Amino acid sequence: MASTDKPADPEYRSSSSSPAPVDYFKFDVILRFLLFAASVVAIVVMVTSEQTETILFNGFPLRRPAKFRYSPAFIYFVVAFSVSGLYSLISALASISVIKKPDLKLKFLLHFLFWDALVLGIIATATGAAGGVAYIGLKGNDHVGWQKVCKVYDKYCRHIAGSLAVALFGSVVAVLLIWLSAYSVHSRVPK
Amino acid sequence: MESERKNGVEGKGIMGSNSKSFGVCDLLLRVLALLLTLVATIVLGVDKQTTVVPVKLVDTLPAVNVAVTAKWHYLSAFVYMVVANAIACAYAALSLLLTLANRGKSKGLGTMIIILDALMVALLFSGNGAATAVGLLGYQGNSHVRWNKVCNVFDKFCNQVAAAIVVSLVGSAAFLLLVLVPVLKIHRQIN
Repeated sequence: MASTDKPADPEYRSSSSSPAPVDYFKFDVILRFLLFAASVVAIVVMVTSEQTETILFNGFPLRRPAKFRYSPAFIYFVVAFSVSGLYSLISALASISVIKKPDLKLKFLLHFLFWDALVLGIIATATGAAGGVAYIGLKGNDHVGWQKVCKVYDKYCRHIAGSLAVALFGSVVAVLLIWLSAYSVHSRVPK
Repeated sequence: MESERKNGVEGKGIMGSNSKSFGVCDLLLRVLALLLTLVATIVLGVDKQTTVVPVKLVDTLPAVNVAVTAKWHYLSAFVYMVVANAIACAYAALSLLLTLANRGKSKGLGTMIIILDALMVALLFSGNGAATAVGLLGYQGNSHVRWNKVCNVFDKFCNQVAAAIVVSLVGSAAFLLLVLVPVLKIHRQIN
């Protein structure tokens, strides 16, 4: 790309030679691996949340399982974090590979910023959806007659809560990634 | 020295070529985001419906008509979405004023606004996710945990919630574009 467009070139050269634009690619790689780890942990904890309890239904004891795939919100959660896990792994490798090539940094930063924003949208929605459903499971809702389920399925609910906490952490990491990329881009592009 | 001089020229070129289109696009998106989040807040915030449902207390007696009310603040997910939209709306108004006052003069402020835009994307998307998941529960119910659907009773209430969610989704897409459009602009310039 350096050969095709001359006008944009000085910008890179100045940024690689002068100390002014700060390089945050190491933090970038660390944050991406954190996001990957958070996604994997969130998925594993969510998928392993299964509990079978005996409950009384019209006086008869019934063994009823609780699984994550009984709720569409949790299915969406798992799918969304699979996407973010895959993306963060690929982008972490790309971020490592670009550390040695200062010429391509701005281009990669822009791509990262674009896709990071989309992935943030996806996982924020997933965390919100799962959190909303889990809150009703925890507290119930008298107004519409939805009773709480966490009294019965305590282990299941602990899994969901742990998964949600990790997911929230992952969303915060995604926001930090965008902030880092935005800050680096703005310190590179003269305005 | 050479690179610095070129850098300055390049910087002016970027400013001159895009400041107008960039400014107009940015302002339009901001006004759109402001209006959409405002509409979503109001539509969900005034949502209330009272209907009469027949309830059989004793099997031998005829059903008694009971008036039941559904209000938006009965479900915490809807409260979260209203608060998220209100915050985003207030922020959109504030950032609109700041952008108009600033007009691309201060670089730090521009970075600050992009950073806060990314935060708003996370906030709005999680609010939308929560409200959508709970709205889906109200629409379909969940047989596994015996949460009955409520939208067959509160039809107007549910339609209003659906409308608010759609408007809020478009509003969050506007915020996402506020983050993405500058990225695409810079990307086009360096290519």
